[in-house]
Amino acid sequence: MTFVHQHVWGWQIATYLFLGGLGGATFAISAILHLFEGCDRKMLSVAVLSSIGFLVLGTVFLLADMLQPLKAAYALTNPNSWIFWGVIFINFYFLAAIVYVIPLLEEWPKLLPIIQKIPAPLLSLLERFNRLAALGGSAAGFLIAIYTGLLISAAPAISFWNTPALPLLFVISGFSTGAAYLLLLSTFSKKETAWKISEKLEQLDAVLIVSELIILGAYFNFALFLPTGARESAQYLFNSPVFIIGFFIAGLLIPLAIETYGIFFSGHSKKSNSLLAFASALVLIGGYLLRFFVLSAGLYQYPW
Amino acid sequence: MARYGMVIDMRTCVGCQACMVACTTENQTPFWSDKFRTHVEDKEQGNYPDVHRVMLPRLCMHCENTPCLSACPTGATYKTKDGIVLVNYDRCIGCYACCIACPYDARYPYESDDVNRERELYGSNATHEVPHVDKCTFCQHRISLHTEPACVSTCPTHTRIFGDLDDPASEVHKIATSGKAAALNQGLGTSPKVFYIPS
Repeated sequence: MTFVHQHVWGWQIATYLFLGGLGGATFAISAILHLFEGCDRKMLSVAVLSSIGFLVLGTVFLLADMLQPLKAAYALTNPNSWIFWGVIFINFYFLAAIVYVIPLLEEWPKLLPIIQKIPAPLLSLLERFNRLAALGGSAAGFLIAIYTGLLISAAPAISFWNTPALPLLFVISGFSTGAAYLLLLSTFSKKETAWKISEKLEQLDAVLIVSELIILGAYFNFALFLPTGARESAQYLFNSPVFIIGFFIAGLLIPLAIETYGIFFSGHSKKSNSLLAFASALVLIGGYLLRFFVLSAGLYQYPW
Repeated sequence: MARYGMVIDMRTCVGCQACMVACTTENQTPFWSDKFRTHVEDKEQGNYPDVHRVMLPRLCMHCENTPCLSACPTGATYKTKDGIVLVNYDRCIGCYACCIACPYDARYPYESDDVNRERELYGSNATHEVPHVDKCTFCQHRISLHTEPACVSTCPTHTRIFGDLDDPASEVHKIATSGKAAALNQGLGTSPKVFYIPS
């Protein structure tokens, strides 16, 4: 039995997985918050535009890693492949996000001349489908986040990846990074509405980090007790100081501590604004490190 | 319709690697980048003083349940009626999903640098015109001419035996059904069509 590190998917794919989860979750959280809570449309447009930006950038990283990126359209051939579904989810997301964001751009005076060039019937149609686009885009965002885990779990010889816990971990981590990104955005705004939303986001991120810790516990417990490559992978991660310090301590425990302090002890006071921004940045760095290290811990278990 | 497979007799392999050389010459695989469609693993087994050196030739197992085929989003990976798993070079986008899915390390990228180097070496006879993920084809072009795969016909110790697993008269059928030979990593449910007689 030989355990060999996979080398075909490196930091570019880790970046794609990270930006996919982040972009999908950023859209889903902001659109749902808009539907249920209502929020500052200007902030919302920034959030949605940046979520589109994350996914465009992520797709660029995926294409850059391919041998023949110009033929990428062929990826819509085999529905048994997760990449096929990823392409469907991402394209559906782009469609919904663009429909959703165009009416929001009216909030920006500089962009108004461009928006006014859009024929009025089309603009009113976009307005009418706003809620549907919010829901459809949120569903697609969720599916993109979970797809990033499903994609790499389809590897029978990499037992650390070939588990139902991985898509779950990636989707929760993706939503945690999405909430952290929105929290970071809200700390830059001086408006009272943004401050109120940031309280919700802080609570949401704390709950997501706790869920992520529970899944991580179950995942590593499963991996460490199997006499397979999964155990080797888990041990590799335990022996990686950057994973333990960078992801587990700095990317999960410290932000959770800061957010817990913010929720229960400081009464979400504005004094903790920069602390919250710091915690959000840590969650984002942690989210990237998680994907990078899960990819580098992928060990094939060869029978020779 | 045939169901092609191979038996590898680990008792007779001497690790001369002639199969690797024959495959490289036949299929223009990028030896300059240390990439091969077939490898001979040189393994040590046991503990001192009971130690053995074992040669394990490996290649694509042309699995019945094919993880690489499911993972390929473009349909570039396909299976012939004879059960041979092939890659359509023109359709491959090189996303590596098949490399990740393959439990037998049977695939590697034929990158642009490799395509250029091949063109330098083989000129107009070069067969890999575009970058793609490459793998063993059981030398399908030879089978269609009723010739054995290059690795099989070159093996000096008759370690590799090729044939139709469904033909009761074939040597591979007899060995594969005798219980003497077993496929690798059977627990994964891939049903490989390459069987090994242990040393």
